[in-house]
Amino acid sequence: MSSQPKIVLYQIGRGPQAPSLTPFAVKLETFLRMARIPYTNQHGRKRSPKGKFPWMIYNGKIISDSQFCIDFLNQNLNIDLNSHLNPEQRAIARAFQKMAEENLYWCLVLCRWVYDNKDWLHRVVCLPKLLIWVVGRNVKSQTNGHGIGRHGYEEMLQIMETDLRAISSYLGDKQFLFGDKPCEADAAIFGQLSQFRWHMPGTKGEQLVSETFANLRAYCERMKNAFWPDWEECITDNGKRKATK
Amino acid sequence: MRVVTNDGTFCGYGKGEDGQLMAMTDEEYHSACPGMTSAATKGIWSSPKSSPYPAPKGLVVLYQIGRGPFCPSVSPFPLKLETFLRFNKIPYMNIHSSRFSKKGKTPWIEYNGQAIADSQFCIDFLSRELGIDMNSHLTPVDKSISRAFQKMSEENTYWSMCYEMFAVPDKTRIAEVMPQYKGFKLWAFTTVFSRVIKKELYYQGIGRHSDEEIWTIGRADLQAISTFLGDKKFFMGDRPSQIDCAMFGMLAQVLWHMPRTRHEKFTHDRLQNIDGYCERMKELCWPDWDKLCLKHPSYQDDNYKTYHTE
Repeated sequence: MSSQPKIVLYQIGRGPQAPSLTPFAVKLETFLRMARIPYTNQHGRKRSPKGKFPWMIYNGKIISDSQFCIDFLNQNLNIDLNSHLNPEQRAIARAFQKMAEENLYWCLVLCRWVYDNKDWLHRVVCLPKLLIWVVGRNVKSQTNGHGIGRHGYEEMLQIMETDLRAISSYLGDKQFLFGDKPCEADAAIFGQLSQFRWHMPGTKGEQLVSETFANLRAYCERMKNAFWPDWEECITDNGKRKATK
Repeated sequence: MRVVTNDGTFCGYGKGEDGQLMAMTDEEYHSACPGMTSAATKGIWSSPKSSPYPAPKGLVVLYQIGRGPFCPSVSPFPLKLETFLRFNKIPYMNIHSSRFSKKGKTPWIEYNGQAIADSQFCIDFLSRELGIDMNSHLTPVDKSISRAFQKMSEENTYWSMCYEMFAVPDKTRIAEVMPQYKGFKLWAFTTVFSRVIKKELYYQGIGRHSDEEIWTIGRADLQAISTFLGDKKFFMGDRPSQIDCAMFGMLAQVLWHMPRTRHEKFTHDRLQNIDGYCERMKELCWPDWDKLCLKHPSYQDDNYKTYHTE
């Protein structure tokens, strides 16, 4: 029997109502669970060499960026969660994943740090107001360079809604993006949607994922039940307890 | 107002006192619009001095940064927007200048006194105003796939292209696609623009990766686009739809304005269906392509020229 690789996943700690406040940590950890790869978590503030979370150490080798971690694991452990997809479906999967991670994600960031969620960050996540202000200014500057930050609030909401409508429309009444079996993109999209569903209380984003596009709410529950049976042990319940996992 | 080339040849109309389109002499034009010059060849170094532009009702004024050497624009977004205007035969006029929108972006439009920034918002606005729906034949699932691919190309592939052109050590490619800049202007543009792009790439995220990692991302996107396109005539089937404007805008840069890059080589060598697709879009919407490429012998300055006004 070949020895299992030692995989340590570095992330920023458990979230109030979902396993992480960052969608990319939810994505990577969901992938590990989908592929049944044993791993341990190391929660802390140590960032990757690229200055971001999450990252991992695989048998002593550092890999940064959630997607590069997944690609590395696919290659080294001979995993292919997309094996049931044809080439066109794989292309579509990539497109949806990139839309969610490179467009919708920035709407999430703007809502969280600039527009809608600052009070929640202070009251529930217990971040100091000064920190929220500093990060918000950085986010505004970053998103200006990116382009999306130059739009007004209503325009940004329109972009967010159009992306969520596209995901909802493609999902339809399927169990997962491409039918009854989840694929790699499901981990990525669940990562993004988990923040709207559980970490954006009282916002337009939460309303869209929880009510307007009801199939997205059901999809989130399905992913949670399938891959996170220990969900309650992986959240802090708005800071009322310490997560045990 | 009157559109003139550098030698004074007439090629457009202006608005008379009664609001009707009419031809003007050079003297009338320069009296009505002092400081206006043919700016298509001057690119971002030129700027009209009067503002806003006094366009007739119903004419879209498209502000963009000037023509490219081998393709009508050096940027995917003006090409996307102008392809949309042409496909739908919307009356419009180009103003090539460095005049940016209030959001600090280009391209942008003025229409019946309203200024709209961002190529996609411009398309959405004109679609609503003029009752156009390029996606009417698509199913909701098709529309969702279109949206996903458009966002992938504009928010992911685009950044890998920016890196490949502006953030790698080889700056000779920039000189090839910006022939109007020479000497000090070229050096200044290359130096400043590269720094700005590197910063934007870092903030966007892709700039934190290695050179090989960034190329892996770009290559996977191009492969996905080619795989989905397959042997279809247009991106979603036999009929063009809105995504074809965006996809053509992006892929035209890969084919014609990214000389000696990995993107260009990979597309030419492995993704031949993209070549055929771009040629089809070119024939459909740009029959005057050669006249709008700076390096072509038949190039004509179309600054202030109106289209679809007959």
